[in-house]
Amino acid sequence: MAEALRIENLNFSIYENVRTPAAKGGVISKVFGNIFRSSSLTHRQILKDINMSLHPGETVCIGGPSGQGKSLLLRLIAGLEKPDSGSLFYFGEYIPREKHSALQIALRQVGLVLQNGALISNLTVRDNVALPLRYHRRGSEKEIAEKVGMALDLMRVSSVASNFPHTLSAGMLKRVAIARSWVMDPKLLLMDEPTAGLDNYNRRNLLPLIDNMRSLFQTTIVIVTHDLRMADELDSNLIFLHDKTLTEPHSFDYWMQSKEVFAVQLFRDLQKRDGLY
Amino acid sequence: MENEKSTLSPIGKIFDWLGKAFLKTTPGKLFALFVKTILSFFSANRNFRTDFRNVVLQTFFTGVEIFPILFVVASLFGTVVIVETMSIMSKVGFANVVGNVLVVTVVRELGPIFTAFLIAGRSGSALATMIGNMQINSEIDALSSMGISPIRYLVMPSLLGGVIAVFIMSICFCVSSLGMGYLISKIFVMVAGQTMNVQLTWNYLYTSLVDALTFTDFVMIVLKPLVFGIIIVINACYQGLRVERDFRNLPKATSRSVIFSFLYIVIADAMLSVFFIFQYLGEISKII
Repeated sequence: MAEALRIENLNFSIYENVRTPAAKGGVISKVFGNIFRSSSLTHRQILKDINMSLHPGETVCIGGPSGQGKSLLLRLIAGLEKPDSGSLFYFGEYIPREKHSALQIALRQVGLVLQNGALISNLTVRDNVALPLRYHRRGSEKEIAEKVGMALDLMRVSSVASNFPHTLSAGMLKRVAIARSWVMDPKLLLMDEPTAGLDNYNRRNLLPLIDNMRSLFQTTIVIVTHDLRMADELDSNLIFLHDKTLTEPHSFDYWMQSKEVFAVQLFRDLQKRDGLY
Repeated sequence: MENEKSTLSPIGKIFDWLGKAFLKTTPGKLFALFVKTILSFFSANRNFRTDFRNVVLQTFFTGVEIFPILFVVASLFGTVVIVETMSIMSKVGFANVVGNVLVVTVVRELGPIFTAFLIAGRSGSALATMIGNMQINSEIDALSSMGISPIRYLVMPSLLGGVIAVFIMSICFCVSSLGMGYLISKIFVMVAGQTMNVQLTWNYLYTSLVDALTFTDFVMIVLKPLVFGIIIVINACYQGLRVERDFRNLPKATSRSVIFSFLYIVIADAMLSVFFIFQYLGEISKII
Protein backbone atom coordinates (compact mmCIF):
# COMPACT_ATOMS: atom_id res chain seq x y z
CA MET A 1 0.00 0.00 0.00
CA ALA A 2 1.34 3.44 -0.93
CA GLU A 3 2.55 5.75 1.79
CA ALA A 4 0.13 8.48 2.80
CA LEU A 5 2.85 11.08 2.61
CA ARG A 6 6.46 10.98 1.52
CA ILE A 7 8.79 13.95 1.51
CA GLU A 8 12.23 13.71 -0.09
CA ASN A 9 15.05 16.26 0.26
CA LEU A 10 12.74 19.22 0.70
CA ASN A 11 14.35 22.66 1.02
CA PHE A 12 12.73 25.99 1.67
CA SER A 13 14.08 29.52 2.00
CA ILE A 14 12.54 32.89 2.50
CA TYR A 15 13.60 36.17 1.00
CA GLU A 16 13.22 39.02 3.44
CA ASN A 17 13.32 42.75 2.84
CA VAL A 18 15.59 44.03 5.59
CA ARG A 19 15.59 47.78 6.11
CA THR A 20 18.79 49.37 7.34
CA PRO A 21 19.59 53.04 8.06
CA ALA A 22 20.98 54.79 5.02
CA ALA A 23 24.11 56.13 6.70
CA LYS A 24 25.94 55.90 9.98
CA GLY A 25 27.66 58.63 11.98
CA GLY A 26 27.06 62.38 11.89
CA VAL A 27 24.20 64.40 13.34
CA ILE A 28 22.11 64.44 10.16
CA SER A 29 22.26 60.71 9.64
CA LYS A 30 21.47 60.14 13.32
CA VAL A 31 18.35 62.27 12.99
CA PHE A 32 17.25 61.18 9.54
CA GLY A 33 18.87 57.74 9.38
CA ASN A 34 15.73 56.07 10.59
CA ILE A 35 13.60 57.84 8.02
CA PHE A 36 15.78 57.41 4.93
CA ARG A 37 16.49 53.73 4.97
CA SER A 38 17.63 51.40 2.29
CA SER A 39 16.16 47.96 1.77
CA SER A 40 18.13 44.89 0.94
CA LEU A 41 16.85 41.45 0.08
CA THR A 42 18.30 38.75 2.29
CA HIS A 43 18.01 35.03 1.81
CA ARG A 44 17.37 32.76 4.79
CA GLN A 45 17.12 28.99 4.61
CA ILE A 46 14.41 27.70 6.93
CA LEU A 47 14.13 24.01 6.04
CA LYS A 48 16.95 21.86 4.76
CA ASP A 49 16.92 18.28 3.49
CA ILE A 50 13.57 17.36 5.01
CA ASN A 51 12.73 13.68 4.63
CA MET A 52 9.64 12.08 6.05
CA SER A 53 7.40 9.11 5.38
CA LEU A 54 3.97 8.32 6.80
CA HIS A 55 1.89 5.17 6.46
CA PRO A 56 -1.92 5.31 6.11
CA GLY A 57 -3.60 5.58 9.50
CA GLU A 58 -0.42 6.70 11.23
CA THR A 59 -0.30 9.71 13.53
CA VAL A 60 2.85 11.71 14.01
CA CYS A 61 3.60 14.76 16.12
CA ILE A 62 6.23 17.28 15.03
CA GLY A 63 7.77 19.21 17.90
CA GLY A 64 10.56 21.67 18.44
CA PRO A 65 11.26 25.15 19.73
CA SER A 66 9.30 28.12 18.39
CA GLY A 67 10.45 29.79 15.20
CA GLN A 68 12.08 26.69 13.72
CA GLY A 69 9.57 26.40 10.85
CA LYS A 70 7.19 23.69 12.07
CA SER A 71 4.06 25.52 10.94
CA LEU A 72 5.83 26.43 7.74
CA LEU A 73 6.50 22.74 7.08
CA LEU A 74 2.80 22.06 7.56
CA ARG A 75 1.91 24.89 5.16
CA LEU A 76 4.34 23.38 2.63
CA ILE A 77 2.70 19.98 2.94
CA ALA A 78 -0.73 21.63 2.55
CA GLY A 79 0.44 23.46 -0.57
CA LEU A 80 0.16 26.95 0.87
CA GLU A 81 3.89 27.46 0.21
CA LYS A 82 6.04 26.19 -2.65
CA PRO A 83 9.27 24.36 -1.81
CA ASP A 84 12.56 25.52 -3.35
CA SER A 85 13.43 21.94 -4.18
CA GLY A 86 12.52 18.41 -3.19
CA SER A 87 9.71 15.98 -3.91
CA LEU A 88 6.36 15.46 -2.23
CA PHE A 89 4.26 12.33 -2.78
CA TYR A 90 0.65 12.14 -1.60
CA PHE A 91 -0.65 8.55 -1.49
CA GLY A 92 2.03 7.58 -3.95
CA GLU A 93 1.27 10.39 -6.38
CA TYR A 94 4.07 12.82 -7.10
CA ILE A 95 3.04 16.47 -7.25
CA PRO A 96 5.56 18.50 -9.28
CA ARG A 97 6.58 21.93 -8.04
CA GLU A 98 4.58 23.84 -10.68
CA LYS A 99 1.40 22.01 -9.59
CA HIS A 100 2.17 22.33 -5.89
CA SER A 101 -0.77 24.47 -4.75
CA ALA A 102 -3.31 24.22 -1.93
CA LEU A 103 -6.15 23.72 -4.42
CA GLN A 104 -4.37 20.80 -6.10
CA ILE A 105 -3.38 19.15 -2.84
CA ALA A 106 -6.84 19.56 -1.30
CA LEU A 107 -8.18 17.52 -4.22
CA ARG A 108 -6.01 14.60 -2.96
CA GLN A 109 -8.15 14.51 0.21
CA VAL A 110 -5.65 16.40 2.33
CA GLY A 111 -7.23 18.53 5.08
CA LEU A 112 -5.69 21.31 7.10
CA VAL A 113 -6.70 22.68 10.51
CA LEU A 114 -4.99 25.99 11.11
CA GLN A 115 -3.91 27.19 14.54
CA ASN A 116 -6.65 29.82 14.93
CA GLY A 117 -9.34 27.67 13.31
CA ALA A 118 -9.65 30.21 10.47
CA LEU A 119 -13.42 29.89 10.25
CA ILE A 120 -15.09 32.17 7.72
CA SER A 121 -16.25 35.02 9.92
CA ASN A 122 -19.46 35.93 8.07
CA LEU A 123 -20.81 32.35 8.09
CA THR A 124 -22.41 30.51 11.00
CA VAL A 125 -20.78 27.39 12.42
CA ARG A 126 -23.20 25.20 10.43
CA ASP A 127 -22.52 27.07 7.19
CA ASN A 128 -18.78 26.96 7.83
CA VAL A 129 -18.86 23.18 8.13
CA ALA A 130 -21.19 22.86 5.13
CA LEU A 131 -19.10 25.22 2.98
CA PRO A 132 -16.67 22.69 1.43
CA LEU A 133 -19.50 20.21 0.84
CA ARG A 134 -21.65 22.82 -0.89
CA TYR A 135 -18.75 24.16 -2.93
CA HIS A 136 -17.70 20.70 -4.12
CA ARG A 137 -21.37 19.67 -4.45
CA ARG A 138 -21.04 16.57 -2.28
CA GLY A 139 -24.69 15.56 -2.23
CA SER A 140 -28.07 17.22 -1.93
CA GLU A 141 -28.87 19.85 0.72
CA LYS A 142 -30.48 17.13 2.84
CA GLU A 143 -27.41 14.89 2.66
CA ILE A 144 -25.15 17.84 3.41
CA ALA A 145 -27.28 18.78 6.43
CA GLU A 146 -27.06 15.20 7.73
CA LYS A 147 -23.29 15.04 7.33
CA VAL A 148 -22.82 18.46 8.93
CA GLY A 149 -25.03 17.40 11.86
CA MET A 150 -22.94 14.24 12.28
CA ALA A 151 -19.68 16.22 12.24
CA LEU A 152 -20.98 18.75 14.75
CA ASP A 153 -22.14 15.91 17.03
CA LEU A 154 -18.81 14.12 16.72
CA MET A 155 -16.94 17.27 17.74
CA ARG A 156 -19.59 18.14 20.37
CA VAL A 157 -20.36 21.58 18.97
CA SER A 158 -24.00 21.04 17.92
CA SER A 159 -25.18 23.50 20.57
CA VAL A 160 -23.42 26.39 18.77
CA ALA A 161 -24.39 25.43 15.21
CA SER A 162 -26.21 28.72 14.61
CA ASN A 163 -23.54 30.92 16.21
CA PHE A 164 -21.03 33.03 14.37
CA PRO A 165 -17.33 32.25 14.94
CA HIS A 166 -16.61 35.43 16.95
CA THR A 167 -18.93 34.19 19.71
CA LEU A 168 -17.02 30.90 20.21
CA SER A 169 -14.26 30.05 22.65
CA ALA A 170 -10.82 28.97 21.41
CA GLY A 171 -11.60 25.31 22.12
CA MET A 172 -14.85 25.41 20.22
CA LEU A 173 -13.23 27.20 17.28
CA LYS A 174 -10.71 24.39 17.00
CA ARG A 175 -13.35 21.69 17.22
CA VAL A 176 -15.46 23.39 14.54
CA ALA A 177 -12.37 23.71 12.34
CA ILE A 178 -11.68 19.98 12.78
CA ALA A 179 -15.35 19.24 11.96
CA ARG A 180 -15.03 21.33 8.80
CA SER A 181 -11.99 19.34 7.72
CA TRP A 182 -13.55 16.03 8.71
CA VAL A 183 -16.68 16.42 6.55
CA MET A 184 -14.53 16.18 3.44
CA ASP A 185 -13.33 12.71 4.53
CA PRO A 186 -9.64 13.59 4.51
CA LYS A 187 -7.25 10.70 4.19
CA LEU A 188 -4.44 12.93 5.46
CA LEU A 189 -5.18 15.57 8.08
CA LEU A 190 -2.67 18.29 8.99
CA MET A 191 -3.18 20.05 12.31
CA ASP A 192 -1.32 23.12 13.49
CA GLU A 193 -1.14 23.43 17.29
CA PRO A 194 -4.55 21.91 18.01
CA THR A 195 -4.15 22.28 21.78
CA ALA A 196 -2.51 25.73 21.85
CA GLY A 197 -4.43 28.16 24.02
CA LEU A 198 -6.71 25.46 25.46
CA ASP A 199 -7.19 24.82 29.16
CA ASN A 200 -6.74 21.31 30.52
CA TYR A 201 -10.46 20.56 30.37
CA ASN A 202 -10.78 21.48 26.67
CA ARG A 203 -7.48 19.78 25.90
CA ARG A 204 -8.68 16.55 27.54
CA ASN A 205 -11.88 16.75 25.48
CA LEU A 206 -10.08 17.37 22.20
CA LEU A 207 -7.52 14.56 22.29
CA PRO A 208 -10.04 11.66 22.26
CA LEU A 209 -11.76 13.31 19.29
CA ILE A 210 -8.49 13.33 17.35
CA ASP A 211 -7.85 9.77 18.41
CA ASN A 212 -11.34 8.75 17.25
CA MET A 213 -10.65 10.14 13.80
CA ARG A 214 -7.61 7.90 13.54
CA SER A 215 -9.20 4.77 14.94
CA LEU A 216 -12.64 5.07 13.31
CA PHE A 217 -11.75 6.53 9.94
CA GLN A 218 -8.11 5.46 9.51
CA THR A 219 -7.11 9.08 8.91
CA THR A 220 -3.39 9.77 8.71
CA ILE A 221 -2.69 12.71 11.00
CA VAL A 222 0.28 15.09 11.18
CA ILE A 223 0.24 17.35 14.21
CA VAL A 224 2.57 20.27 14.72
CA THR A 225 2.70 21.04 18.43
CA HIS A 226 4.59 22.36 21.41
CA ASP A 227 2.49 20.06 23.56
CA LEU A 228 4.86 17.06 23.58
CA ARG A 229 2.65 15.10 25.98
CA MET A 230 0.16 14.82 23.14
CA ALA A 231 2.45 12.34 21.38
CA ASP A 232 2.33 10.14 24.49
CA GLU A 233 -1.43 10.47 24.93
CA LEU A 234 -2.13 9.74 21.26
CA ASP A 235 0.44 6.95 21.29
CA SER A 236 2.09 8.40 18.22
CA ASN A 237 5.64 8.94 17.06
CA LEU A 238 7.39 12.20 17.76
CA ILE A 239 9.65 13.96 15.29
CA PHE A 240 11.65 17.08 16.12
CA LEU A 241 12.47 19.88 13.77
CA HIS A 242 16.01 20.63 14.80
CA ASP A 243 18.70 22.58 13.02
CA LYS A 244 16.43 23.11 9.97
CA THR A 245 15.84 19.41 9.44
CA LEU A 246 13.70 16.59 10.83
CA THR A 247 14.96 13.93 13.19
CA GLU A 248 14.02 10.27 12.92
CA PRO A 249 10.55 9.42 14.32
CA HIS A 250 10.63 7.84 17.77
CA SER A 251 8.23 7.27 20.63
CA PHE A 252 7.69 9.78 23.40
CA ASP A 253 9.51 7.51 25.86
CA TYR A 254 12.51 7.22 23.56
CA TRP A 255 12.89 10.98 23.42
CA MET A 256 12.37 11.26 27.18
CA GLN A 257 15.45 9.16 27.73
CA SER A 258 17.41 10.59 24.82
CA LYS A 259 20.69 12.36 25.53
CA GLU A 260 20.33 14.68 22.53
CA VAL A 261 20.87 18.23 23.82
CA PHE A 262 17.75 19.73 22.21
CA ALA A 263 15.56 16.86 23.48
CA VAL A 264 16.97 17.15 27.01
CA GLN A 265 16.26 20.88 26.91
CA LEU A 266 12.68 20.49 25.63
CA PHE A 267 11.79 17.72 28.09
CA ARG A 268 13.37 19.62 30.97
CA ASP A 269 11.08 22.54 30.15
CA LEU A 270 8.15 20.13 30.06
CA GLN A 271 9.05 18.68 33.47
CA LYS A 272 9.46 22.14 34.98
CA ARG A 273 6.14 23.33 33.61
CA ASP A 274 3.94 20.33 34.23
CA GLY A 275 5.85 18.26 36.74
CA LEU A 276 4.23 15.23 35.18
CA TYR A 277 7.20 13.36 33.79
CA MET B 1 9.69 25.25 -21.59
CA GLU B 2 12.98 25.93 -23.34
CA ASN B 3 11.71 24.20 -26.48
CA GLU B 4 8.53 26.21 -26.33
CA LYS B 5 10.51 29.46 -26.13
CA SER B 6 12.78 28.54 -29.01
CA THR B 7 9.76 28.05 -31.32
CA LEU B 8 8.77 31.70 -30.92
CA SER B 9 9.50 34.00 -33.85
CA PRO B 10 11.39 37.28 -33.15
CA ILE B 11 8.07 39.19 -33.11
CA GLY B 12 6.60 36.49 -30.87
CA LYS B 13 9.53 36.90 -28.50
CA ILE B 14 8.90 40.66 -28.33
CA PHE B 15 5.23 40.07 -27.49
CA ASP B 16 6.22 37.36 -24.99
CA TRP B 17 8.60 39.80 -23.28
CA LEU B 18 6.06 42.63 -23.36
CA GLY B 19 3.32 40.41 -21.96
CA LYS B 20 5.49 39.17 -19.11
CA ALA B 21 6.66 42.72 -18.35
CA PHE B 22 3.04 43.93 -18.33
CA LEU B 23 1.97 41.17 -15.93
CA LYS B 24 4.63 42.32 -13.45
CA THR B 25 3.09 45.80 -13.21
CA THR B 26 0.09 46.65 -11.01
CA PRO B 27 -2.30 47.19 -13.97
CA GLY B 28 -1.03 43.86 -15.34
CA LYS B 29 -1.78 42.09 -12.06
CA LEU B 30 -5.22 43.71 -11.94
CA PHE B 31 -5.86 42.54 -15.49
CA ALA B 32 -4.69 39.02 -14.61
CA LEU B 33 -7.02 38.95 -11.59
CA PHE B 34 -9.90 40.13 -13.79
CA VAL B 35 -9.24 37.41 -16.37
CA LYS B 36 -8.92 34.74 -13.65
CA THR B 37 -12.20 35.93 -12.15
CA ILE B 38 -13.99 35.68 -15.48
CA LEU B 39 -12.50 32.22 -16.10
CA SER B 40 -13.48 31.10 -12.59
CA PHE B 41 -17.12 31.68 -13.56
CA PHE B 42 -16.79 28.74 -15.95
CA SER B 43 -14.86 26.51 -13.54
CA ALA B 44 -15.96 22.98 -12.68
CA ASN B 45 -17.26 23.93 -9.23
CA ARG B 46 -20.22 25.92 -10.45
CA ASN B 47 -23.03 26.14 -7.93
CA PHE B 48 -25.48 28.66 -9.32
CA ARG B 49 -27.65 28.56 -6.22
CA THR B 50 -24.80 29.62 -3.93
CA ASP B 51 -23.49 32.02 -6.56
CA PHE B 52 -26.88 33.67 -6.99
CA ARG B 53 -27.19 34.11 -3.22
CA ASN B 54 -23.70 35.61 -2.98
CA VAL B 55 -24.28 37.92 -5.94
CA VAL B 56 -27.59 39.17 -4.48
CA LEU B 57 -25.91 39.75 -1.09
CA GLN B 58 -23.04 41.59 -2.74
CA THR B 59 -25.41 43.72 -4.84
CA PHE B 60 -27.35 44.57 -1.69
CA PHE B 61 -24.17 45.37 0.21
CA THR B 62 -22.64 47.42 -2.60
CA GLY B 63 -25.69 49.19 -3.88
CA VAL B 64 -28.79 49.21 -1.74
CA GLU B 65 -27.10 50.19 1.52
CA ILE B 66 -25.49 53.22 -0.13
CA PHE B 67 -28.70 54.42 -1.76
CA PRO B 68 -29.77 56.96 0.96
CA ILE B 69 -26.44 58.81 0.74
CA LEU B 70 -26.39 58.57 -3.03
CA PHE B 71 -29.95 59.92 -3.21
CA VAL B 72 -29.10 63.01 -1.13
CA VAL B 73 -25.88 63.68 -3.06
CA ALA B 74 -27.63 63.19 -6.41
CA SER B 75 -30.57 65.44 -5.49
CA LEU B 76 -28.42 68.32 -4.31
CA PHE B 77 -25.97 67.90 -7.19
CA GLY B 78 -28.90 67.92 -9.64
CA THR B 79 -30.32 71.06 -8.03
CA VAL B 80 -27.02 72.92 -8.35
CA VAL B 81 -26.50 71.86 -11.95
CA ILE B 82 -30.08 72.68 -13.05
CA VAL B 83 -30.21 76.08 -11.34
CA GLU B 84 -26.72 77.10 -12.49
CA THR B 85 -27.23 75.87 -16.04
CA MET B 86 -30.64 77.44 -16.52
CA SER B 87 -29.68 80.79 -15.05
CA ILE B 88 -26.33 81.11 -16.84
CA MET B 89 -27.42 79.68 -20.19
CA SER B 90 -30.49 81.89 -20.43
CA LYS B 91 -28.37 84.93 -19.52
CA VAL B 92 -25.88 84.30 -22.34
CA GLY B 93 -28.59 83.35 -24.82
CA PHE B 94 -28.00 79.62 -25.00
CA ALA B 95 -31.23 78.50 -23.34
CA ASN B 96 -31.74 75.99 -26.16
CA VAL B 97 -28.69 73.93 -25.15
CA VAL B 98 -29.73 73.44 -21.49
CA GLY B 99 -30.72 69.83 -22.21
CA ASN B 100 -27.37 69.11 -23.84
CA VAL B 101 -25.46 70.55 -20.90
CA LEU B 102 -27.51 68.50 -18.44
CA VAL B 103 -27.07 65.32 -20.44
CA VAL B 104 -23.31 65.85 -20.73
CA THR B 105 -22.89 66.88 -17.10
CA VAL B 106 -25.25 64.53 -15.31
CA VAL B 107 -25.94 61.54 -17.50
CA ARG B 108 -22.75 61.19 -19.45
CA GLU B 109 -19.97 62.35 -17.13
CA LEU B 110 -20.51 63.22 -13.50
CA GLY B 111 -23.42 60.88 -12.77
CA PRO B 112 -21.47 57.64 -13.38
CA ILE B 113 -18.28 59.14 -11.89
CA PHE B 114 -19.97 60.36 -8.68
CA THR B 115 -21.69 57.00 -8.30
CA ALA B 116 -18.42 55.16 -8.84
CA PHE B 117 -16.61 57.42 -6.35
CA LEU B 118 -19.30 56.89 -3.71
CA ILE B 119 -19.25 53.12 -4.20
CA ALA B 120 -15.43 52.99 -4.27
CA GLY B 121 -15.29 55.02 -1.07
CA ARG B 122 -17.89 53.03 0.74
CA SER B 123 -18.11 49.51 -0.68
CA GLY B 124 -14.68 49.21 -2.32
CA SER B 125 -12.90 50.11 0.90
CA ALA B 126 -15.15 47.74 2.88
CA LEU B 127 -14.44 44.92 0.43
CA ALA B 128 -10.68 45.50 0.61
CA THR B 129 -10.84 45.55 4.42
CA MET B 130 -12.95 42.39 4.55
CA ILE B 131 -10.64 40.42 2.24
CA GLY B 132 -7.57 41.85 3.99
CA ASN B 133 -8.94 40.71 7.35
CA MET B 134 -9.67 37.29 5.91
CA GLN B 135 -6.09 37.16 4.70
CA ILE B 136 -4.74 38.11 8.15
CA ASN B 137 -6.98 35.56 9.92
CA SER B 138 -5.79 32.85 7.47
CA GLU B 139 -9.36 32.44 6.18
CA ILE B 140 -8.09 32.65 2.59
CA ASP B 141 -5.56 29.90 3.37
CA ALA B 142 -8.35 27.86 4.94
CA LEU B 143 -10.46 28.26 1.78
CA SER B 144 -7.57 27.14 -0.42
CA SER B 145 -6.83 24.17 1.85
CA MET B 146 -10.45 23.05 1.42
CA GLY B 147 -10.03 23.16 -2.35
CA ILE B 148 -12.11 26.33 -2.58
CA SER B 149 -10.69 28.91 -4.97
CA PRO B 150 -10.72 32.31 -3.19
CA ILE B 151 -11.17 33.95 -6.59
CA ARG B 152 -14.20 31.77 -7.35
CA TYR B 153 -15.66 32.12 -3.86
CA LEU B 154 -14.89 35.77 -3.04
CA VAL B 155 -13.91 37.80 -6.08
CA MET B 156 -16.36 36.46 -8.67
CA PRO B 157 -19.60 37.18 -6.70
CA SER B 158 -18.17 40.56 -5.65
CA LEU B 159 -17.44 41.40 -9.28
CA LEU B 160 -20.90 40.44 -10.55
CA GLY B 161 -22.68 42.07 -7.60
CA GLY B 162 -20.48 45.16 -7.82
CA VAL B 163 -21.04 45.67 -11.53
CA ILE B 164 -24.81 45.21 -11.19
CA ALA B 165 -24.90 47.60 -8.22
CA VAL B 166 -22.84 50.31 -9.96
CA PHE B 167 -25.09 50.04 -13.03
CA ILE B 168 -28.33 50.31 -11.00
CA MET B 169 -26.95 53.07 -8.80
CA SER B 170 -25.73 55.09 -11.80
CA ILE B 171 -29.25 55.06 -13.22
CA CYS B 172 -30.65 55.92 -9.78
CA PHE B 173 -28.17 58.78 -9.53
CA CYS B 174 -29.16 60.23 -12.91
CA VAL B 175 -32.90 59.86 -12.25
CA SER B 176 -32.64 61.27 -8.70
CA SER B 177 -30.37 64.02 -9.86
CA LEU B 178 -32.67 65.22 -12.63
CA GLY B 179 -35.99 64.41 -10.93
CA MET B 180 -35.24 65.62 -7.41
CA GLY B 181 -33.02 68.36 -8.81
CA TYR B 182 -35.98 69.67 -10.78
CA LEU B 183 -38.31 69.52 -7.74
CA ILE B 184 -35.87 71.26 -5.37
CA SER B 185 -34.99 73.85 -8.03
CA LYS B 186 -38.70 74.48 -8.57
CA ILE B 187 -39.12 75.12 -4.85
CA PHE B 188 -36.15 77.52 -4.92
CA VAL B 189 -37.60 79.31 -7.92
CA MET B 190 -41.01 79.57 -6.24
CA VAL B 191 -39.44 80.93 -3.07
CA ALA B 192 -37.01 83.28 -4.79
CA GLY B 193 -39.56 84.35 -7.43
CA GLN B 194 -38.37 86.57 -10.29
CA THR B 195 -35.04 87.36 -8.61
CA MET B 196 -33.61 84.10 -9.95
CA ASN B 197 -34.75 84.87 -13.49
CA VAL B 198 -35.24 81.18 -14.32
CA GLN B 199 -38.19 79.88 -16.35
CA LEU B 200 -38.35 76.31 -15.12
CA THR B 201 -41.06 73.92 -16.27
CA TRP B 202 -40.98 70.13 -16.29
CA ASN B 203 -42.17 70.05 -19.87
CA TYR B 204 -39.31 72.29 -21.01
CA LEU B 205 -36.71 70.36 -19.05
CA TYR B 206 -38.03 66.95 -20.14
CA THR B 207 -38.23 67.92 -23.83
CA SER B 208 -34.73 69.40 -23.89
CA LEU B 209 -33.31 66.34 -22.13
CA VAL B 210 -34.99 63.85 -24.45
CA ASP B 211 -33.90 65.84 -27.48
CA ALA B 212 -30.31 65.94 -26.24
CA LEU B 213 -30.00 62.22 -25.52
CA THR B 214 -28.28 60.28 -28.28
CA PHE B 215 -27.74 56.56 -28.89
CA THR B 216 -24.13 56.94 -27.72
CA ASP B 217 -25.41 58.21 -24.37
CA PHE B 218 -27.40 55.02 -23.89
CA VAL B 219 -24.33 52.96 -24.78
CA MET B 220 -22.28 54.94 -22.26
CA ILE B 221 -24.95 54.56 -19.56
CA VAL B 222 -24.31 50.81 -19.80
CA LEU B 223 -20.59 50.85 -20.60
CA LYS B 224 -19.31 53.28 -17.99
CA PRO B 225 -20.87 51.65 -14.91
CA LEU B 226 -19.68 48.29 -16.26
CA VAL B 227 -16.09 49.49 -16.58
CA PHE B 228 -16.17 51.44 -13.29
CA GLY B 229 -17.71 48.50 -11.43
CA ILE B 230 -14.98 46.18 -12.71
CA ILE B 231 -12.30 48.69 -11.69
CA ILE B 232 -13.68 49.20 -8.17
CA VAL B 233 -14.17 45.52 -7.34
CA ILE B 234 -11.01 44.15 -8.94
CA ASN B 235 -8.87 46.87 -7.38
CA ALA B 236 -10.47 46.38 -3.94
CA CYS B 237 -10.04 42.59 -4.09
CA TYR B 238 -6.47 42.92 -5.35
CA GLN B 239 -5.54 45.30 -2.55
CA GLY B 240 -7.23 43.03 0.01
CA LEU B 241 -5.49 39.90 -1.27
CA ARG B 242 -2.12 41.69 -1.15
CA VAL B 243 -2.34 42.22 2.61
CA GLU B 244 -0.79 38.82 3.37
CA ARG B 245 -0.51 38.31 7.12
CA ASP B 246 0.62 41.73 8.25
CA PHE B 247 -1.84 43.96 10.10
CA ARG B 248 0.15 47.06 9.10
CA ASN B 249 -0.85 46.49 5.49
CA LEU B 250 -4.59 46.60 6.15
CA PRO B 251 -5.07 50.40 6.44
CA LYS B 252 -2.73 50.84 3.46
CA ALA B 253 -4.81 48.39 1.42
CA THR B 254 -8.04 50.17 2.36
CA SER B 255 -6.77 53.61 1.36
CA ARG B 256 -5.15 52.23 -1.80
CA SER B 257 -8.40 50.59 -2.81
CA VAL B 258 -10.11 54.00 -2.71
CA ILE B 259 -7.38 56.25 -4.10
CA PHE B 260 -6.34 53.95 -6.93
CA SER B 261 -9.99 53.30 -7.82
CA PHE B 262 -10.46 57.07 -8.16
CA LEU B 263 -7.37 57.28 -10.34
CA TYR B 264 -8.29 54.33 -12.57
CA ILE B 265 -11.91 55.53 -12.87
CA VAL B 266 -10.82 58.99 -14.04
CA ILE B 267 -8.35 57.46 -16.51
CA ALA B 268 -11.01 55.06 -17.82
CA ASP B 269 -13.53 57.91 -18.06
CA ALA B 270 -11.07 60.02 -20.04
CA MET B 271 -10.42 57.09 -22.38
CA LEU B 272 -14.13 56.43 -22.88
CA SER B 273 -14.78 60.14 -23.45
CA VAL B 274 -12.44 60.10 -26.43
CA PHE B 275 -15.40 58.66 -28.34
CA PHE B 276 -17.21 61.95 -27.80
CA ILE B 277 -14.43 64.21 -29.02
CA PHE B 278 -15.78 64.46 -32.54
CA GLN B 279 -19.28 65.01 -31.26
CA TYR B 280 -18.01 67.77 -28.94
CA LEU B 281 -16.18 69.42 -31.81
CA GLY B 282 -19.34 69.31 -33.93
CA GLU B 283 -21.40 70.90 -31.19
CA ILE B 284 -18.82 73.60 -30.48
CA SER B 285 -18.65 74.48 -34.19
CA LYS B 286 -22.46 74.79 -34.22
CA ILE B 287 -22.39 77.19 -31.26
CA ILE B 288 -19.53 79.28 -32.62
